Formats: sequence, C-alpha cells, structure tokens
Amino acid sequence: MTLLAAAAVVWAASWGLNLYLCARPGLAVRIAVPIIFGAALLAIWECVVRGLEVPSVILPAPSAIARAFLSSLDILGIDFTQTFIKGALPGYVIGCALALLFTLAADLSPFLRRGLLPIGNFAAALPIVGTAPIFVMWFGFGWQSKAAVVVAMVFFPMLTSLVQGLAAADRLHRDLMHTYHATYLQSLWKLRIPAAMPFAFSGLKVCTTLALIGAIVAEFFGSPIKGMGFRISTEAGRLAMDIVWAEIVVAAAAGAGFFGLVSLLARWTLFWHPSQRVGFGR
Amino acid sequence: MKTIMAALAATALGSLSAQAADEVTLQLKWVTQAQFAGYYVARDKGFYADENLDVTIKAGGPDIAPPQVIAGGGADVIVEWMPAALASRERDVKLVNIAQPFKSSGMMLTCLKESGIETPADFPGHTLGVWFFGNEYPFLSWMSQLNVPTDGSDMGVTVLKQGFNVDPLLQKQADCISTMTYNEYWQVIDAGIAADELITFKYEDQGVATLEDGLYVLEERLADADFAERMVRFVRASMRGWKYAEENPDEAADIVLENDDTGAQTENHQRRMMGEIAKLTAGSNGTLDPADYQRTVDTLLAGGSDPVISKAPDGAWTHAITDKALN
Repeated sequence: MTLLAAAAVVWAASWGLNLYLCARPGLAVRIAVPIIFGAALLAIWECVVRGLEVPSVILPAPSAIARAFLSSLDILGIDFTQTFIKGALPGYVIGCALALLFTLAADLSPFLRRGLLPIGNFAAALPIVGTAPIFVMWFGFGWQSKAAVVVAMVFFPMLTSLVQGLAAADRLHRDLMHTYHATYLQSLWKLRIPAAMPFAFSGLKVCTTLALIGAIVAEFFGSPIKGMGFRISTEAGRLAMDIVWAEIVVAAAAGAGFFGLVSLLARWTLFWHPSQRVGFGR
Repeated sequence: MKTIMAALAATALGSLSAQAADEVTLQLKWVTQAQFAGYYVARDKGFYADENLDVTIKAGGPDIAPPQVIAGGGADVIVEWMPAALASRERDVKLVNIAQPFKSSGMMLTCLKESGIETPADFPGHTLGVWFFGNEYPFLSWMSQLNVPTDGSDMGVTVLKQGFNVDPLLQKQADCISTMTYNEYWQVIDAGIAADELITFKYEDQGVATLEDGLYVLEERLADADFAERMVRFVRASMRGWKYAEENPDEAADIVLENDDTGAQTENHQRRMMGEIAKLTAGSNGTLDPADYQRTVDTLLAGGSDPVISKAPDGAWTHAITDKALN
C-alpha cells in the first residue's frame, strides 16, 4: 500500500516539477523535462509492480529487467550481432539499393515502370509470417534468410519514396534544364536526384525500424540458437520475462539509434534543403 | 396437460442444472489434435456433464505458453510437460501436477541414415533440430548427460531452432530433427522418406524420458476446498474420456476432428495419431507414479552447466486429487 502511495507521490511530484520547468527557457530544461518524465515512469512502474505484487511472468519490475540486462550482457551482445549486424543491416542495405536500381530502371523505361511497380506492390503485400519460413527453406537457418526477409520488408517503402522523389522536381526547373539542352543524365544528376533526396531519406528512416522488426520476427520461424528473436521467443516460453524485456530494451535502443543515425546523415547531406533549416523564424 | 407440465418441469430442471454446472477452463499445450482426445471425448460424450461440469477447452499453439496463461488467470487447469512446469515453478508460477494421463514419452530424435549416425555417440559434428519455447529441456538434459556441448564446436553438435514442421530434415539442413511418435514422425513418412531410411532415438529408450502431458493447477488455488473438489470431478471425467478414447480410437479421432475449428487436421492423420497416443496413455489411470516423477527430476537436474532446474522441487505434485477421483 505504501508503495502505491509512493507511486502517486512520485507521479504528482514529477508532474509538478515538469510544469514548473516548462515555463522556463533554456537548453538544460529542454533536456531535463523528458528525463524527469522517463524516470518518473520507471519509478511508478517499479512501485506499482511491487505494491500490487504483480507476478514477474506478467510484468517484471524495471529493477529486475536492469539486473537481467547487466547479468546477461554477453548474451545480449551475441544476439545483437546476430540479428542487427548480420541480419538487419545487410538486408537494409541490399533492400534499399535494390529499390534504387528498380526506380532508375523504371524511370528510364515506361515499359518497365508499368511492369516493375506492380511487382514492388506485390512484394509489399507479402506477409512476413509467410515469407519467413519460405526463406528459411531457401537460404538456410542462418542470418542469410533473415536478411532476405528484411530485403522483402524494406524494398517497397523505399521504392515508393524514391519513385515519388524522382517525380518531385519542379516543373519550372525541368523546363529550365530543357532550355539548357541538358541530357537525361545531367538533368537526373543535377536536378532530379537532389530534389528526390528528402523523399529518399524519409524512406530510409522508415526502413530502419522495419528492418529491425523484420530481422527479429524472422527468427521466430527457425534460427540458430542465438539472435534477439530467438531469445525473445525462447525465454518467453521459459517464462524468463526479465530477459525478454532486456532484449526489448536492446531492440528499442538499437532501433532508435539507427533511426537517429540516418536522421543525422539526412541533416548533414541535406543542409541546403528548406526542410532541414533550424532556428530561423521559430 | 400433464405431459406439458412434465415437459416444463423437465426444461426447468434442465436449465437449472445447466446453470448450476461448475465452469472449468482447460488450456491445452498445442492445437486441437488427438493428443488431447481424452478431454474432447469427455466433453462431447457428456462425461463432464455427468460430473456437473461445464468445461471450456482452449486450444494452444506455437506462441502460447500454458503456464503464462494460468498465471494470468486465463485458465483453471492446463496441460503441460513436466520440465516446463517445474521450470515455471522456479519462476514463481507454482504449478502442481494433479494428474498424469500420459505414462510414456512420445519424444524422439529422428535422423537420416545417410548422415552416418548410428548411435547417440555419433551426434558430435552433426546438426540437430530442436523445438524451443519450453520444449527444449529434455533435449538439453540428454545432451549434457552424453557430455556433448550444444555450442556448435567440433566436439559438440550444432543446434537449430526448428519450426513446428519437418522441413529441415527434408531439405537436409539438419541431420536429425525432433519428432513425436504421434505427429512429426508421420509427417516425415508422408513426405516420402521410407522408414528404413530413418533411424530414431526415443527419449524413453535412452533413459532420459521426461513426463509429458500432465494436468497442472496453481498451488494456491488447491487450498480452496471448492476448487479441489471441482478438480476431483474434472480429473475423474477426463480419465473416463481417456480410457474411452483408448478403447475407441477411431471414434475419438472423429470427435477431435469435429472440434477442430481450423479444419487443418485430416481423418487419416488423426486416427493414426490417436493410435499412437493410446500407446502413451496406456498404463496410466491418471495417478502420477512418483518413480516417473523422480526420473524426470533426476534427468533435469543432470543438466550439467546449464541445468533446467537448480534444485529438486518441493510439492510439485499431489495425489490428493487422483486419490479422491479414482478410488
């Protein structure tokens, strides 16, 4: 009971503190507010789980998850390498590169455009629970089949972004290129690809999380005895929910980190684009 | 007039007893199939109704862990394998075995003869398919008793997490896969591999068999006299169902088929499965044999560096229910 009261106190106190801080300007405040919010959430979670004596197989306390995390760092590292480095990343790169090739081919030939785009559409409609076991049969139990699932998952979102991007160049600009007597390649390189970059990056960002989800879920359908998806499904069967949550923490951190990295890359490469301007008129 | 009154009285009585029937929810370990024929027979043949029980049977599947369901309050009683039940006991889900309809284990490792495996001593250097999600414990115990590491090293075996199908063997991605006598073994045969191209190792023959389908409830609820009495009736009716299924395998298989909402099962497969299941339930009247329990615990404790359970469990089974139900 006291723990539940403590949860209520933490909630009220952190809420009040954040209200107080929000009224004040400054970088420190902007950083502190979300941290206080997150810390309060964890504290309330801990108090409620202990106070209501929730069984750990239903929801473990954050402290138990932290303990499991720290005591199985080696396993988490092995799983991260297997799933993220070997499964998600190659699949992401291959899938996005493939989408780029498809887009250029479709752009060059109206015939291919009418033929290839429906195929891209078809690939997007493939359910992962159907493709994963098939790819395991084709490419084996290792990371190769997981990368293949990721390719199938990221291909279509990337393709649509790129196709939309290449069509984004302004009509006036194109006419200008035309009057300059620019060749197809010149106009592609100097006008249309730069104009497509914001679309390409939004596709790349969406695909970061898709790739991770694909690589994890694909491991449910046959895998070696390592990997984040393998661990999650196995430890859930063993009722070791603290390990499952530790893997979820790793997955969330990896996904957010990957997304952040691609966002940073977008900011560096697109410094000239209006969408990336910071600080003016705000 | 008299007949109308009688009819009314009968309906009233009927609805009264229907209302008064005690509800029991049973969570199965796997999808609807002849492995659980006894429970479906007991329900459809009215054995549960005879005990004034209204039993809901929840089918399981590859992503359902019965101990988690019962811990979350989703079931009163579950069908589970003892290794998983004992492991969850250490995870503070205090499961207690109240009856053991399965006497023998149906688990096997089925290998292709062309892989050159003739005895378990030949396993090192080969790739073996294993089910996880709580079904890996018997395998891991066996390997650690053989002193074979499962890390994929030269001296050890490479373990694959196999899906719930037999493809890894057909595709030659694994030299051996886990099978049940009543299910996957026949899928291999149906896929066109002749029985003489296969070599199988039954856990039962290797002395590492662990108890399979038993009935488990939460310890804290057994203290409730009402609940315990309901379980007595449930076990009695379930065992009636099992013995009926053993004696009438084809009829039992047909009852299972009627209850399969997915339509995935076939009559041929279910009748064959029921025949194999009957061999496993034969010799058990539902009472847990403490010697079988001890062998299961010993096998699990012999888990070497990574034992399934860390110490011999206490109070993981009771005869209180079966003594009342069956005598």
